[in-house]
Amino acid sequence: MLGTLYLPIAGNGVNIFLLLGLGGVVGFLSGLFGVGGGFLMTPLLIMAGIPSTVAAASDSNQIVAASASGSYAHWRMGNVDLKMGLFLLVGGVAGGTLGVQLIKVLRALGNADFVIKITYVVMLGLIGSYMFVESLQSLRGKVAHPTRREEPPRPSLYARMVQALPWPMRFEKSGVTLSPLMPLILGGFVGVLAAIMGVGGGFIMVPVMVYLLRMPMHVVVGTSLFQILFTCINVTIMQAASNHTVDLILALILLLGSTLGAQFGARLSRRLKADQLKILLASIVLLVMVQILVGLVLAPHLMLGYKGGH
Amino acid sequence: MRRRGSFKPLAAALLSLALLLGTALAARAAMPEVKVSPELVEIGAFFQGAEITVSGEIPPGAEAVVEVLGPEATEHLMRKGRRGGLWMNVGEVEVRTAPSLYLARATDPRLLSHQAPEARFGFAALKRRLAAAGGTATPAELDEFLKLKESEDLYRILPQPLEAAAAGGSRLVKAAFRLPTQVKPGTYRVCLSVLEAGRVSGRKCAGLKVAMVGFPALSAALAYEHGVLYGILAVIIAMVTGLVMGYLFRGGGGH
Repeated sequence: MLGTLYLPIAGNGVNIFLLLGLGGVVGFLSGLFGVGGGFLMTPLLIMAGIPSTVAAASDSNQIVAASASGSYAHWRMGNVDLKMGLFLLVGGVAGGTLGVQLIKVLRALGNADFVIKITYVVMLGLIGSYMFVESLQSLRGKVAHPTRREEPPRPSLYARMVQALPWPMRFEKSGVTLSPLMPLILGGFVGVLAAIMGVGGGFIMVPVMVYLLRMPMHVVVGTSLFQILFTCINVTIMQAASNHTVDLILALILLLGSTLGAQFGARLSRRLKADQLKILLASIVLLVMVQILVGLVLAPHLMLGYKGGH
Repeated sequence: MRRRGSFKPLAAALLSLALLLGTALAARAAMPEVKVSPELVEIGAFFQGAEITVSGEIPPGAEAVVEVLGPEATEHLMRKGRRGGLWMNVGEVEVRTAPSLYLARATDPRLLSHQAPEARFGFAALKRRLAAAGGTATPAELDEFLKLKESEDLYRILPQPLEAAAAGGSRLVKAAFRLPTQVKPGTYRVCLSVLEAGRVSGRKCAGLKVAMVGFPALSAALAYEHGVLYGILAVIIAMVTGLVMGYLFRGGGGH
């Protein structure tokens, strides 16, 4: 077949144009929403014939490129809150380590897969539904009140809890004042979930930043990409060192497509309104959730699968 | 008296030895010769699978089976089951001595059929060998294992019969096999079995080497022998490419 390239770690030959296309589409979404795209790319690569462990690890490597490119693009636009990003990163690394240990315990108990699948469906369902409904209401509300702020009114109990936390700190770029404990705790929470689900966590981090940290959408995208960049650098080196599952050739082709896609995504994100961005991301998240749910409900074609990944 | 008495057992022993040697030599004469071309399959950057040709001579009236067997290894798999109405992995299954590749063709395809009782070749025989090797798979799970490998084109029973042409006093069997792109590097065995009057009268195997060359070989060696360095290099290359692309797009404007 024309354009087939052999991937030595994946141990398979795959069409180069297919990989470039996959990289381009996922990179575009990455630049647009500030998500790593791992929750989309890994299943797509598995469908293209790449073993799941190699797909997940090589995807982390290509996200390094896409998020470096996207972070740079957003940095130039002044959309990266470095201070907030660092707190989230510290929390994320601690949470990720805890999550990996949690998975080990669950695997020993024999129900890790159930927890992983259910976490996926619940998290994607909750985030997707909430973002979708909220963005839709906000879009409709804006017609009647065009001068109102984009963010919904915060719940009073939540606001009181946030205000009660010690050491309030001003985050200039995000235009918010809150305790550094907030990004640390929330980063840790996302880190635990990301480790359980085996993804970078961007699609959880973005809603957390928007709804719980009250950051403006454009700063959210840049800061999320910045945080994902460091998470994926760590994952790539760890996977290459311990599992030998990073296929550099696969990642190089994906990153060529994704870095191009990320640039277009970052540009479009400036042109679209925050609610339009949110409703698009919500739709994709819900689609992935439905796809996983269908896979859980319908009887599988084969009653055995390879061990590895999830 | 004593010397004459001891001569008889010695003569009998010598006769038996000659008979045994004769039988062994006759059996050796019936052993088929098998040739594989090429003997080395190279996996380069643009590897799209490879075709190998297997040839060998068999006696007139005999049937033949050709099998291509990959290196054996223990496979770790997950059993799927239903919990609370949802399908998911519910346990681990181990299949021992599973060949990484199994391709088979016969002069009479019925020799490889699933239903053949006491089949010596094909999936039925492979399943028996896997079951005998231990592991934790039930017979039903071994069937699923074979289906899984079949779905990946790694285990295949080729339906086309092997063609055998007359060549002097014997018949020449020739068959082509396509190795899929996901074929693993290693030493493979290509075996030609001869069946006469329903019994296996000879089996001969030849080696086939599958090896990575060029960039794939370099990349795999670095990944497996210097994992940390490979990971750091992968990150640096990714970051540089990402930043270069970002820089290139800076002049594009549009925001």
